[in-house]
Amino acid sequence: MAKPTDIIKKKRAEAVSRIIGKGYLSSKRVYVGMATCEIAAGSKEVMEVFKNAVTKGGLTDVYLSQKGCAGRCNLEPTVEVIEVGKNPVRYGKINPEKAQQIIDKHLKKGEVIKEWVID
Amino acid sequence: MSKKYIITICDGTGCIQKDNAAIRKILEQQLKEHNLTNDVRVNLSGCLGMCDKGPIVVINPGYTIYGNVTTNDIPEIVEEHIVKGKPLARLAIQEDHLYNRFFRIFGDAKFFGKQMRIALRNCGIIDPENIDDYLSLRGYEALAKVLTDMTPKQVIEEVKLSGLRGRGGAGFPTGVKWQITARAGSPNSPRSASDEKYVICNADEGDPGAFMDRSAIEGDPHTVLEGMIIGGYAIGAKQGIVYIRAEYPLAVRRLEKAIADAREHGFLGKNILGSDFSFDIDIRLGAGAFVCGEETALIRSIEGGRGMPRPRPPYPSVEGLFGKPTLINNVETWANIPVVILDSGKWFSTVGTERSKGTKVFALAGMVVNTGLIEVPMGTTLREIIYDIGGGIPNNKEFKAVQTGGPSGGCLPAKYLDTPVDYESLAKAGSIMGSGGMIVIDHDSCMVDIAKYFLEFTQNESCGKCTPCREGTKRMLDILIKITEGKGEMYDIENLERLGNMIKKASLCGLGQSAPNPVLSTILNFREEYEEHVKDKKCRAGVCKQLLTYEITDKCVGCGACKKVCPVVAITGTTKAKHIIDQNKCIKCGACFSKCKFDAIIKK
Repeated sequence: MAKPTDIIKKKRAEAVSRIIGKGYLSSKRVYVGMATCEIAAGSKEVMEVFKNAVTKGGLTDVYLSQKGCAGRCNLEPTVEVIEVGKNPVRYGKINPEKAQQIIDKHLKKGEVIKEWVID
Repeated sequence: MSKKYIITICDGTGCIQKDNAAIRKILEQQLKEHNLTNDVRVNLSGCLGMCDKGPIVVINPGYTIYGNVTTNDIPEIVEEHIVKGKPLARLAIQEDHLYNRFFRIFGDAKFFGKQMRIALRNCGIIDPENIDDYLSLRGYEALAKVLTDMTPKQVIEEVKLSGLRGRGGAGFPTGVKWQITARAGSPNSPRSASDEKYVICNADEGDPGAFMDRSAIEGDPHTVLEGMIIGGYAIGAKQGIVYIRAEYPLAVRRLEKAIADAREHGFLGKNILGSDFSFDIDIRLGAGAFVCGEETALIRSIEGGRGMPRPRPPYPSVEGLFGKPTLINNVETWANIPVVILDSGKWFSTVGTERSKGTKVFALAGMVVNTGLIEVPMGTTLREIIYDIGGGIPNNKEFKAVQTGGPSGGCLPAKYLDTPVDYESLAKAGSIMGSGGMIVIDHDSCMVDIAKYFLEFTQNESCGKCTPCREGTKRMLDILIKITEGKGEMYDIENLERLGNMIKKASLCGLGQSAPNPVLSTILNFREEYEEHVKDKKCRAGVCKQLLTYEITDKCVGCGACKKVCPVVAITGTTKAKHIIDQNKCIKCGACFSKCKFDAIIKK
């Protein structure tokens, strides 16, 4: 019988391929913070904007995911954009309007919106 | 070749200096030559925190880290790793640690620079509702390792070796607790009732302003489950229970999903991962009573009784849930376990101070620029936490005190800023580590008022079983209210101290034993403020309303705005002449103060 360590290795490889199957290797990955505190600050609405853009708005080559709290309470909701070959960009205090602008400027045209970036 | 790779080049300051740009150039050239540009992605990351070994190149999947990479090494890496699929042993750094994954994503931003994430290693990185995300970051590998290579005894030895101590606040050595629970119920034990045992995760987080456990469960529920399963294996239990408060609906939902997913993958249930070990986890919701964070009250609550503590011994390790040996640990303690197993207890014990190992999560709140959830190695000073990570006090105000440990802890003034954060040092300074609340206070806060706030909380939450806590906290609160209303006498301060020390000694459980701490520590460190309230009837921070007087100065232009807002008609004066407040009528509501456009009203 297979050892637990072998089973877990297989499971891990399967998990990785499932994640890749969901589009992890897209040229851009977008993460929206979705802990209770972030949701209270309005991240659910922000997530909706991104979801809509991916499903209806023709935003392609983007992997969208939620994540837990990274600890930046005073800057929530946070949105993180990881682009191939570039340093990750973290935006703070994002609302639905700002989210739309991130889609229009950053995700579609590649322009980082500097004034919202957390450093 | 069908396999796809992601190559990440560290783009932190250290690696930039060591010319990572040249490495990137050669790498991209090489990929082009091998016709691999479509199969391999080249990424830049922020500082990975291994500057001494830079330039760093990481290849995923597999998370192989190459250090001290030169441009000459690149062809070999591409040839061996990418084309042939064999990681290059010569350059690989064996640092597949679980901790500090954070730097990979977040870089060396100041907020994260002094942090070290062990318990929160996946929080804010993975999708907590997707077990695949956890699995891809070596999730449940510690469990597999334990089931394959380790006996329960070896697991306990590893935890003992790590030096991990209870993160709920009391700091009892975790390994020792596991050992006692493992031995309890065995034929050699005096209380060998049966072989049934339980594992409990205490997620009943009740301190005002604390959110460590909530964030940990919401951000990475599986690590807590994995820790609990390993605990169950180590002590020989079949059932685990997470006791979490119903006020955390999202955490509960994510935990439920995590448990269901873990069952589906065979990490919970019968014959876990094909071994002969079976274990399952259930959730019990608490109704939000602070006292239920105390272990014996928590157990009573799970049993269906009213959450009230009982005297110890016997400790839950010997006689816990339903009278069976029970291993009860805090969320953060459980979250550390997979790292202890995978990165070894020996490594874990290199982090932190001599007697406090590992890291501690804090909920940094109050008057600090970057409020947030942080995790720092034990031994980090309060100054580093508040000024380097927290960014200091907003509006250039001055630091007055820091409150640690919530309603069970104390307030430390500026002279303790260089105190390292560990169990002993904080206790020595007159506060406690606690579960991780950390509230920064500036000079706009009154220490007597803060003590009153915390005592109000504990007094409310006292379960009423023992007299010192039930009656004592009530009397202490009465005295504090008296002082803040300007009716205090000097003997009141001594009475507070006497009463406080008595409650500490005589109370049944931790709630009462620690309830006087906020009062006692503020008297110890800010006695002059108490004396001012009593002798001079003054509150220097201007917080205690009854001790304030509002006065109108010569700046008054006689606009009459204040007169209109005063609810008790205490302000008189004719138009365009200076107005006057009748101090006997004034109820100190502050309406005139905030209404005046000319800064003519002062608070004294």
